[in-house]
Amino acid sequence: MRALLLLALLLAAPRAMADSADITKILRGRYLATVGDCIACHTGPNGQYAGGRGIETPFGLINAPNLTPDSDTGIGQWSEADFARAMHEGVRPNGDRLYPAFPYPWYTKVTREDTDAIFAFLRTLPAVRNTVDRDTLPFPFSVRTVMRGWNLLFFSPGYYEPRADRSAEWNRGAYLVEGLGHCSACHTARNALGGDSSAAWQGGPLQGWFAPNLTNDARQGVGNWSVEDIVAYLRTGANARSRASGPMAEVVGYSTSLMNEADLRAIAVYLKDLPAAAPTPPAALATSDPAMRTGEALYVDNCMACHRRDGQGVEGIFPILAGSQVVQQPGTDTLMRIIISGVRSVATDGAPTSPGMPAFGWRLNDQQVADVVTYIRNSWGNQAPAASAADATRLRGLVAAAPH
Amino acid sequence: MPSTRRRLLAASALFGLAIPATARTLKEALPWSPNEAYPPERVVPGPWVFFTAGEAATVEAIADRVIPADELGPGGKEAGCAVFIDRQLAGPYGTSAWLYMRPPFARGTPSQGLQDEDPPAVQYRKGLGALTSYCTGRYGGRRFEALTPQQQDEVLTAMEKGEAKDPGADLRGFFEQLLNNMTEGFFADPIYGGNKDMCGWRLLGFPGTRYDYREVIAAPNQKYTLPPVALTGRPEWMR
Repeated sequence: MRALLLLALLLAAPRAMADSADITKILRGRYLATVGDCIACHTGPNGQYAGGRGIETPFGLINAPNLTPDSDTGIGQWSEADFARAMHEGVRPNGDRLYPAFPYPWYTKVTREDTDAIFAFLRTLPAVRNTVDRDTLPFPFSVRTVMRGWNLLFFSPGYYEPRADRSAEWNRGAYLVEGLGHCSACHTARNALGGDSSAAWQGGPLQGWFAPNLTNDARQGVGNWSVEDIVAYLRTGANARSRASGPMAEVVGYSTSLMNEADLRAIAVYLKDLPAAAPTPPAALATSDPAMRTGEALYVDNCMACHRRDGQGVEGIFPILAGSQVVQQPGTDTLMRIIISGVRSVATDGAPTSPGMPAFGWRLNDQQVADVVTYIRNSWGNQAPAASAADATRLRGLVAAAPH
Repeated sequence: MPSTRRRLLAASALFGLAIPATARTLKEALPWSPNEAYPPERVVPGPWVFFTAGEAATVEAIADRVIPADELGPGGKEAGCAVFIDRQLAGPYGTSAWLYMRPPFARGTPSQGLQDEDPPAVQYRKGLGALTSYCTGRYGGRRFEALTPQQQDEVLTAMEKGEAKDPGADLRGFFEQLLNNMTEGFFADPIYGGNKDMCGWRLLGFPGTRYDYREVIAAPNQKYTLPPVALTGRPEWMR
């Protein structure tokens, strides 16, 4: 019986695929869609790629559209060229401007060959009928032609141009990071209008987290990370010093943990070549500072059991706080959020344990959250601005409203 | 190995029966959710919840004889032992909500703990009534809290020895109950109303709600210097 079923499958499979010409192209498209992390935003309650997930932006919630081939509610009527234009120019087939919550300012770098492969993959998805309300932004952002002006200011369309003075690996990394990976969408701060700020790759606040600096600054960036550290982090969500959580947990879970080793190495090689750039931190606070003394008492009683008295954590389980880049970012949102709500790191095949930290928001008030954050930011060689109770209050409100 | 196999099957069948129908199967990561915490409700001193004013005065007076204030720290009253017992009696402990409370009620041995039909709240009401009747009958109408410390010790000693009798309750059993609950109040986390400022823990050198001592164990024969910490923290957490 089983043999019969297998035979039926073998006979049926090639016929079903026969129309879509090139299985290699489809599989490549699937991989590239993973690199682009399309699934993270375009998956809602009605299934993968069927859209409907609300994407938080400073301007309001934008619902990600349906990418399945449904002809009424998805992209079933789109052509390969339509899709390439959306990716390259941020324009729908009817001429409507897309919002850059869809990262076309990065996807514009992607080659036509690659967007065609992604499109071929999307065509193989089961069509899901799911109408997505695409007009959720308030005026004036509800007027999509406004995006023409935005594009003039902040959008420069153009395919990735390889640099002859760099290795093939570096160029592959640059193509992935600046294109499909759209890493700087989070790791470069946005300006007031949602465009790139001038502080490229220096990180910035993000939905109640703080996306860290990715330059080679030793304190705030990845200056002390090796290529291997970065590869391990992207492949498994964990390395000896840190673990991915929050928005980066999604990126690792849906995207980088499923990428191949060569691409991850290329990304790491490119990132390791970003010149160090970070705001100069103030001198570390003295241990006699009142916030430091209170923070130390809080640390000893609440944090030390796992992160150790010397901030060294436990390799592979509890993140190292001494010298940690996450700890020393200009903004404290990530630290405060983790203390108030707790956090769980991503589980991947390479690091399936997914250790979590419990919430301390029930036990610590806002001043105490700020003081312990100030302490870990100014101990064991760490240097970063002191934290404020007002920020803890804001974070507490944020996580009460949307705990994830 | 047929017998082993049979035994294994039989054991599996038994085990299968023993698993409650509500068991869940966990796959992949263990459950975790943000902001998850189940802290006990914090007792704040204030009006009595279970005791009458008279009962509370008696229990506070007893607390100060069981744990008298001295140069080492506060007495049982100031430590909040009566507040602790009041809130416990008003909660599930008072009604034995956590025990099987259907007849028949057999008289158990002392090591079997509470076997009585009366839950602690009823025992306290009856016991304090009997104690008041015993004291007023013996000391010219004065209640326990109105006696001199020496007289109070006389009464408590008589209760402990089983010499104090009153038809209202078993005063020897009530003494045991009081002593246990006073001790709990003096040493339980301050969040429950007693052990004010961790005074009980400071006497013992108990470290409180810490849970990792590897660094202490790694440095043997050195004085342990960390102050105790409660669920609600310690004074150094505030500035």
